[in-house]
Amino acid sequence: MATIRIPTPLRPYSGGQSSVVVSGTNVGDALLDLTRQHPQLQSHLFEGEALRSFVNVYLNKEDIRGLQGSNTTLKPDDTLMIIPSIAGGRS
Amino acid sequence: MLILPVNIHTQIAAHGAASYPHEGCGLLLGAAEDGRNVVTAACPLPNVWPVVSEKPERFRIDPNDWRDVELEAISEGLDVIGIFHSHPDHPPVASPRDLAWASWPGYSYLITQVIAGEPGMSRSWQLAADRSGFNEEAVEIV
Repeated sequence: MATIRIPTPLRPYSGGQSSVVVSGTNVGDALLDLTRQHPQLQSHLFEGEALRSFVNVYLNKEDIRGLQGSNTTLKPDDTLMIIPSIAGGRS
Repeated sequence: MLILPVNIHTQIAAHGAASYPHEGCGLLLGAAEDGRNVVTAACPLPNVWPVVSEKPERFRIDPNDWRDVELEAISEGLDVIGIFHSHPDHPPVASPRDLAWASWPGYSYLITQVIAGEPGMSRSWQLAADRSGFNEEAVEIV
């Protein structure tokens, strides 16, 4: 089973856990299982059925958009990271 | 509340000054403890906003840089707890652009004013739970 690391501000919604072990043979299924285990994460990660625009998912340091996206196959010892895109400015 | 050691605030302010007239940016590392973000390190990062002429009023952090910092932080037992950036010749107030491109409530958004290349005051903000705006948080410099 793969592991998903939880960003610091989302840990109140994952029972305080910094990582969660998930089932699923691909990235999409793994994220679905994460939100099944911790439903409060859903609105922070997804807008409707799509990942929020600022949410990036990395599989063992690779952005899944450079792989097969949510269809990317997972191995049991894989780790997923959830990393936000951040921008801003003075005006 | 953001707990910020004075030497780290000095480092952040110096990065803002060195980046002038562009916005400077980076990540705050430490721990989230009982509703407080306690900083123990700061990691300046490149401002990768794609239009150079807009960098005096825009910043962007490359997610790949964030990933690398987070992996390093994990190895040191630290967490990413916030983002810092500078506002050149502009008050350190979270802007509509900061709001539009924010991520999750809980991160501290520390903003340092830089006036004519000299660092000024810093203020910190957190995204409201309903994402409707930023609320100022207290900063305790220790």
